[in-house]
Amino acid sequence: MSKLRQHKLFSLGLFLVLVVISLCIVSFFYLPQDPNVMNTINRFQSPSKEFLLGTDQFGRDILSRIMISSRYALFIGLVSVFLGAVVGIVIGALAATANGWLETILMRFIDGLMAFPGILLAMMLVAVLGKGLWNAVIAIAIFMIPVFSRLTYSLVLDQKNQLYVKAARSYGASKCRIIFKHILPMILPRLITQFSASIGSAILIESSLSFLGLGVQPPNASWGLMLSESRQYMLTYAYLAVPPGIILMITVLGFNLIGDAWNDSIVSRRMAE
Amino acid sequence: MLSFIIKRLISGLTVLFFISIITFFVLRWMPGDPATLSLGTEGTPEKIAELQEVMGLNLPWYQQYYHWIQDLFSGDWGSSYVFGEDVMTLIIQRLPVTLLLAAVSMVIVIPFAFIIGIMSALFKERWVDYIARSLMQLGDAVPQFWLALIFLVFFASKLGWFPVAGYVGFDDGILASIHSVLLPAIVLAIGQVGPLIRIIRSSMLSSLEQDYMLMTQVNGLPKTLAIVKYALRGASIAPLTIIGMQLANMLAGAILVENIFALPGIGRLLLMTVEQRDLILLQGMVIFVTSAVVLVNILTDICYRLANPMIRFGGNHE
Repeated sequence: MSKLRQHKLFSLGLFLVLVVISLCIVSFFYLPQDPNVMNTINRFQSPSKEFLLGTDQFGRDILSRIMISSRYALFIGLVSVFLGAVVGIVIGALAATANGWLETILMRFIDGLMAFPGILLAMMLVAVLGKGLWNAVIAIAIFMIPVFSRLTYSLVLDQKNQLYVKAARSYGASKCRIIFKHILPMILPRLITQFSASIGSAILIESSLSFLGLGVQPPNASWGLMLSESRQYMLTYAYLAVPPGIILMITVLGFNLIGDAWNDSIVSRRMAE
Repeated sequence: MLSFIIKRLISGLTVLFFISIITFFVLRWMPGDPATLSLGTEGTPEKIAELQEVMGLNLPWYQQYYHWIQDLFSGDWGSSYVFGEDVMTLIIQRLPVTLLLAAVSMVIVIPFAFIIGIMSALFKERWVDYIARSLMQLGDAVPQFWLALIFLVFFASKLGWFPVAGYVGFDDGILASIHSVLLPAIVLAIGQVGPLIRIIRSSMLSSLEQDYMLMTQVNGLPKTLAIVKYALRGASIAPLTIIGMQLANMLAGAILVENIFALPGIGRLLLMTVEQRDLILLQGMVIFVTSAVVLVNILTDICYRLANPMIRFGGNHE
């Protein structure tokens, strides 16, 4: 792929993500209206000066609710992927350095986790842990584990026979030191790429869970929850589903584009070498 | 080949073993024991203790696990305490709806993905390619449940092309049945198409660069014929490898889509199960769905090898 196009896609992704991040930051200092105040006289208002994106079925300001929700989306996205990545990387690195039965057990366990269709594992965990924000974070984090451990596993295996690792081993560096001091910095770019791409899917899973009523609970706002609430009015006032859907798509698209562009640049650099 | 199949089956069984362990422990962790839950308001301490005894809940965990696995193999998957019916019966009742939904969705997605993927590879870095890849990115980013809502309003309610909700059984004719799942199937297909186009495009690109494509040029074979006869054949094997993943994605999508379109399939049953915390049914459904994914993965691996004799077991890991 041409460098220019890569650059453009990366910039577009970064722009979209920055839009959402600034919405989130601004929400801590300024909200156009109180996102939770209900006022039935104002219900189902079209966008106006007072309500930039209109109001919902309870007369709450949609823009303010979207801004508040961006906190949950970014928080759940970042934290759950971070937790999943840490556990996944440790398992993957352990499996790649350990030989024999431990390697087999760890990787089959990961294969087992991988066989759970995305949201099913999250739903199962929510059934056990109960609904709510933190349980959604844990559920999504566990879903993220296999992706990171598989990636780390294959990357570490790749690096294991490189000269610099052999050199480190020859002067007696411990396994732990080799992994964390030598191999991990080498494979970090690939892991960061995966991190960015995973945030997009984590946010999608969060919104799906909230949509099904298993994630963020009312009166808190979440894009998924807003969409779920709009279902009742789909046939009479479908506009309610438009703003949260679009912002959700923008966010996911932004993170995906950044991840893809990074990935491409790593691949093309490797090919150039 | 036989030794590969055996090895693959053994590794598949190990994966299933871990799945059963994960499911068993996660669901044992659930607050409230099954005996109390299944008795509901009728539960007196004596009755609960009695049922716990019958259900074997007082046994040590490894014995409980052993009994559970034994029951799974003998076809006794327990009975749901919300529906009061056999788990297997419930699953089999719902399965045709989800299978039809998945099948219709596959019929839409496969030709579409092949056409777009191949065009995108043939016109690499041209506008066809750019449009295809933009669509792919959008397809990956759009929330399926949102798309389902929008489609519902537009195609079902406004235009009236499809029923707004509900499923028409096979008794009313297969066409009516397909029509009732067509719109949800399209939504599912849009969610599936991105990864499939991506892999078709990249395998087509690498197939076009092979020496045998140069040979067709040297031999003066017309370009279209060369593409259809050689490049396409080389490119159609790789997509096989992600069918298992696609199936898993499709089942995940079905949970959302079936709920929105009120289709009485596996996905809808799953949500009810989670909402009601129906342990026995959830356990059974999780095992059923994941086993299906593992089985399909094993089958596609074997097909992949049959289709591509060049791949030797334990060869390059990429």
